Amino acid sequence: MMEDEYINKKIKAALESLDNIQRGEPRPFLFTRIEARIRNERNMWSKISSFVATPVIAFACIFFVLILNASAFLISNNSTNSLSQPGSELATADEYSQVSSTLYEFENPKP
Amino acid sequence: MEAAPVGLKCSFKIFVLTESELIEQLKKKDRSAFKSIVDAWQDMVYNTAIGILQNAEDAEDVTQETFIQVFESVSAFKGESKFSTWVYRITVSKAMDHIRKKKRKKRFAFIQSLYGKDDRPVIDPPDFFHPGVSMENKEQATELFKAVEQLPTNQKTAFVLNKVEGLSYLEIADVMKITDSAVDALLHRAKANLKKILKEYYNSLNNK
Repeated sequence: MMEDEYINKKIKAALESLDNIQRGEPRPFLFTRIEARIRNERNMWSKISSFVATPVIAFACIFFVLILNASAFLISNNSTNSLSQPGSELATADEYSQVSSTLYEFENPKP
Repeated sequence: MEAAPVGLKCSFKIFVLTESELIEQLKKKDRSAFKSIVDAWQDMVYNTAIGILQNAEDAEDVTQETFIQVFESVSAFKGESKFSTWVYRITVSKAMDHIRKKKRKKRFAFIQSLYGKDDRPVIDPPDFFHPGVSMENKEQATELFKAVEQLPTNQKTAFVLNKVEGLSYLEIADVMKITDSAVDALLHRAKANLKKILKEYYNSLNNK
């Protein structure tokens, strides 16, 4: 009982401790520090680095790189599949026969 | 920002600008107007920030960020609310951002410590002592601020604006963009929670 009363008194005192609180004041020359910070933040590189360092941007960049990798992988897979088709094999063989030429053909071109 | 024509301007005539004139000047990025605004509202901003953050360095940081935001986005201020209300809103949102950033840093430091990259021990900050509290109330206020730290964000904001900054329910409602009855409910819940936290704290001290 006594303990409860004591604790209630302590709680009341704690809750009333801010009743006559004065305003806290920053250190002097705050304006000078703000001006210096504005000048510093206007520096383009610091702007860029702080923008890139934002977690949202960083994660978006990582996600973009992953998407690029995945799409490159899928595209390369598709192209190897299309090369292995029989029709395209013939076409490629034709292409090669036209392109490849012997030294004789090169020196004596057909009219 | 303009170089510094203020001294020349004021050397012949002393201008006493009203709040709206100051804001108009600030929209033109006038340095002297910005200085006047910082001088007039710095205590208000710092006191709110220190009440929420309970750390002098963080409060100074947030005060600077608030005024930079005021300087850069004053053109967005349409005069629908009081200028002080608008500045309070920026302060509270900057303080909340600061808390989130700090939590993120702590989590990152914890992950780093798991991988053995950072072996420095995490030091708990010392008890916060608000510079505006009288010496006779110092101990009780420190215990109260510890309890305030455990309140949910909106209850903490309403409590700080009311008890530390001395705003009325209507002013808090304007700052937090809620109704005054919602402010009443928030403060009621905040006080009930504080009583509960303090009771547990004093009970634990008694049982030791």
